[in-house]
Amino acid sequence: MKNFGIVVALLLAMVVLHGCGEKKLNNVEYGIRNQILYYANGDEPKSVDPHLITGTVENNIIINLFEGLTSKDAKTLEARPGVAESWTISEDGRVYRFKLRENARWSNGDPLTAEDFVYSWRRALNPRLPNAYAYMMFYIEGAEAFYKGENTDFASVGVKAISPHELEVTLKAPAHFFLQLLDHHSYYPVHGPTLEKFGGVEDPTSRWALPENFVGNGPFVLKRWEINKVVELDKNPHYWDADVVRLQAVHFLPIDDQQAEERAFRSKQVHLTNTPQMDIEKIQVYRKDRPEVLRVIPTYASYYYEFNVQRKPFDDARVRKAFALAIERDLLVKNVTKGGEVPAYNFVPPDPEGYTPQIYWREDVEEARRLLAEAGFPNGEGFPVLTLLYNTHDNHHKVAVAIQQMLKKNLNVNIQLENKEWKVYLAARKNVEHDIARAGWLGDYLDPSNFFDILRSYAGNNNTNWKNPRYDELMNTIEATSDPARRNELFEEANRILAEEMPVLPLYFFVDINLVDTSVKGWYDNVMHFHPLKYVYLEASEP
Amino acid sequence: MLRIFLQRCLSAIPVLFLVVLFTFILIRLAPGGPFDDERAVPPQVLENLNKRYHLDDPIHVQFFDYVKHLLQGDFGPSFKYPSRTVTEVIYAGIPVTLELSLYAFLVALVFGITSGVIASLKPNTLQDYVPMSAAMIGLCLPSFVLGPLLILVFGIQLDWLPVSGWGVTPGDKILPSITLGAGYAAYLARLSRGGMLETLSQDYIRTARAKGLSGWRVVFHHALRGALAPVVSFAGPAVAGLLSGSFVVETIYQIPGLGRFYLQAAFNRDYTMILGMTILFAFLIIICNLLADLLLLWLNPKLRGRK
Amino acid sequence: MSTEAVDFDLNRLEKGRSLWQDAFSRLKKNTLAMGGLVFLLLLIVLAVLTPWIAPYSYEEQNLMLGATPPSAEHWFGTDIFGRDQLTRILYGSRISLMVGFIATAVALCIGVTWGTIAGYIGGRVDALMMRFVDILYALPFTIFIILLTVVFGRSMLLLFLAIGAVEWLTMARIVRGQVMAIKHQEFIEAAVAMGMSRPRIMFKHVAPNVLGPIIIYTTLTIPSVILLESFLSFLGLGIQAPQSSWGSLISYGVETMEEYPWLLIFPALTLSMTLFALNFLGDGLRDALDPRVSKD
Repeated sequence: MKNFGIVVALLLAMVVLHGCGEKKLNNVEYGIRNQILYYANGDEPKSVDPHLITGTVENNIIINLFEGLTSKDAKTLEARPGVAESWTISEDGRVYRFKLRENARWSNGDPLTAEDFVYSWRRALNPRLPNAYAYMMFYIEGAEAFYKGENTDFASVGVKAISPHELEVTLKAPAHFFLQLLDHHSYYPVHGPTLEKFGGVEDPTSRWALPENFVGNGPFVLKRWEINKVVELDKNPHYWDADVVRLQAVHFLPIDDQQAEERAFRSKQVHLTNTPQMDIEKIQVYRKDRPEVLRVIPTYASYYYEFNVQRKPFDDARVRKAFALAIERDLLVKNVTKGGEVPAYNFVPPDPEGYTPQIYWREDVEEARRLLAEAGFPNGEGFPVLTLLYNTHDNHHKVAVAIQQMLKKNLNVNIQLENKEWKVYLAARKNVEHDIARAGWLGDYLDPSNFFDILRSYAGNNNTNWKNPRYDELMNTIEATSDPARRNELFEEANRILAEEMPVLPLYFFVDINLVDTSVKGWYDNVMHFHPLKYVYLEASEP
Repeated sequence: MLRIFLQRCLSAIPVLFLVVLFTFILIRLAPGGPFDDERAVPPQVLENLNKRYHLDDPIHVQFFDYVKHLLQGDFGPSFKYPSRTVTEVIYAGIPVTLELSLYAFLVALVFGITSGVIASLKPNTLQDYVPMSAAMIGLCLPSFVLGPLLILVFGIQLDWLPVSGWGVTPGDKILPSITLGAGYAAYLARLSRGGMLETLSQDYIRTARAKGLSGWRVVFHHALRGALAPVVSFAGPAVAGLLSGSFVVETIYQIPGLGRFYLQAAFNRDYTMILGMTILFAFLIIICNLLADLLLLWLNPKLRGRK
Repeated sequence: MSTEAVDFDLNRLEKGRSLWQDAFSRLKKNTLAMGGLVFLLLLIVLAVLTPWIAPYSYEEQNLMLGATPPSAEHWFGTDIFGRDQLTRILYGSRISLMVGFIATAVALCIGVTWGTIAGYIGGRVDALMMRFVDILYALPFTIFIILLTVVFGRSMLLLFLAIGAVEWLTMARIVRGQVMAIKHQEFIEAAVAMGMSRPRIMFKHVAPNVLGPIIIYTTLTIPSVILLESFLSFLGLGIQAPQSSWGSLISYGVETMEEYPWLLIFPALTLSMTLFALNFLGDGLRDALDPRVSKD
């Protein structure tokens, strides 16, 4: 009894001691008072080295730690001056000359010069650095050859420092979205002396991007990083535009569970959630009870299913089309995904900057049945049982279960569902071992080529086995074309091919569903999921 | 006892080696590599990565390299978090995991054994049913149900305790400890009740009672000792399970412990991280089982005399 | 322990049939245990008959209906796809009970055999066998399951084996501990003195005397195995949507417990009742099989 008594007493003491502590303000109120933003960021970031990262979680953080030559307007996504205060573009659209700000500085006070950009881009293109996004720079003349080791002299790449504050960039072909691209993290500058101190430019395990060593050039600096707990940013006093930055600090919390995230928001532990998805049923509750904090934002991203066109009977375009026509997308988005997703009849989402794909088909169960019968399966008879592969996730599960039933009801076709753990699913897709597989694609910048390029015959992300020479030819022509109107025509032709061939089955265009407390000001919704914190501040809303 | 202790410590070496070997083979056989992602990594980048982390060496070379580094105390870099070493990640997570497991184990011990003992004194009466039913809650409501439920009631409705975190806000350790401990409390309650019933019906207890010793004295001096054998046998693996299997609770409460990292490492195919954590947990399991076995010996002096 | 007790034990164990008959007659008198047994039998009968008695289809959806609370048409309500929950629980019981009983039986067979041998023989054999258990404990379970799914695909048989393969470890440890505790008791030594063969002693005399903890642990393992199944189907092993199991119903129910509480309450209640029934029956069995009880 004695022992138990001690244990019980200890436990009680533990509870009491914890309970007695002065009740702290919740994070939201504390944050408003001290201009500290608490940000639910979805996962533990891999790294904050701009030339190593690939994901949105990391991107959400580093857009605040670095600044490219240009930046983007958070509302309109138009290119705005960044480190470069102005620029000129040659008549043929190939040569850009940037004038860098005299007062641009690194977070340790060092001046930021054109040479820094040359150094950084050279690093980003270093073939020995595992930079998965190096191809984003292939628009620059000679960059691809340098990266592929065909040319080891960096002088052959179209980047030159004319003077400490003048940079000249030559493209291999005009790209109207190049200014927008400069805001991508692969183009961010890194601080040479710091890199050299921690193992040079090539080492991915370098410790330069940890808080104790970090040097950046953005509105914030890396202050503290506790694994799986918090990434803390402080305002950067050396930032050239520090006067407009009102937030004193940002805490990125790696909350990797949808339910936990929503609970953290509800109990005022975070000001906002910036992960693309939210628990489906909770959306309804917020829509009804707290519409002022629910942000539903259409994004430049597509949710679709990939056919393996070598697998019978998907080698027959009529079967693929029958599937596409048999799915009731309105029902799917209204009653299953429920977030306000946009039903998709194209692979490519409409682009607010210009290209809107035409729609060539809609749901038509009669026509779908006819096509299936024509392909040799009247009323679905004799159709083999094929599987639909998806990675284990609540939302994918719900969509798959609904679609399975739609195909059964409308085409009398039985599909088996197959959920797999993430990496198993990726491996199966990569080797095109599936019959049908779930897929999603998020545009890196606003240009339809982002999406169309995936379906090139030999593209690394084409997991359909679909090969179409005409389509490839179109893509090559588009690459060399600068006239926007002509490009749109070519895109439309590619879009028509996809509508006829249906190598992928479009389902809907994603929406981001975020919760943003009313005290967060300067946070704008846009299709690119782009939320820089430079202009964000906190202000208690009127009761 | 000392001999047993030393023997077991010595036998831990081959056990650990075999664990490393088997784990090494297992993870290499699992499909998908550490660098696979939704977007196909360009072949060139993959090649560079494989070269950098020596994944292009023959597998046995990789294994011996790994063991060589291991012997020097180097668990290697994490594949998923390139600027971090495995040691660093483990170092950050282990205090949290140990603390959480300890509190959970205390919860399980206190609630489990107390209700088990109380119940066993008057079997098949109300004094049996009420505490046993209470102890069973942890089994009826597994942690992935109990956690959200507790949060909803105490975190959100009543607003008494924080909904997540560990050591950030006062009181944030209470709910996770209860959630994690509850399931084990049920096991301990039932095992100790069964053990008690068995021992109480044995002759030496009857003799003690016949001698006129008071009820409680009998229970705590004589019966409990004998009744605890199955409890102790279970407790060894249970503590190990608490340590490595707390990912559900760690996810619900967003606790930066190792359980969560272990599962993520498996999902990420972060080879070095999986190996590092497996070695750590293997070590802890060996220790827990050893302690349990020693405790078993201590509880049952009969075993000590012979052999 | 008195000599009468030894004789008594030996007699009982030699005449196995009378032990079981005795036990059953004692069990019959225990109302709670019989209640548990009846409940479980009823559940099994329902599970077997499900395809004929289920009020609705387990997969057919009514998206326009969506999730509705319990009503006259749908006693347990409907889920977000408008599927009848009673039907899904009934179909789920087929899978969950099968997983629970078969996987636990696998664990029981391996665990008891392993633990008895290790505990009884002791010495080097024991050390080797228990170190093997330690190694299996330490291997990363998740990776092991992922590998299984890749090598063998999705099969129920695999599911039982996979669960059995992890659950037997703790069972083996418990049995070993108990065996070690009783192997020096007089009645075992008497059997040794009488020249009985080792395997005979182990399985006729030792194993039955450690039944108590085995029964208790088994009755606790069944529900946790039922829940473990939902984690395995997360990894791609086990049931496949739109099939249902109690574990998957509960884990989906948790996510919507605020909006649609009935989606959690009914499956959780079913599992809890099964758990209690199992434990009442387990306690009853333990009491009934305890050789000492009848002495009173």
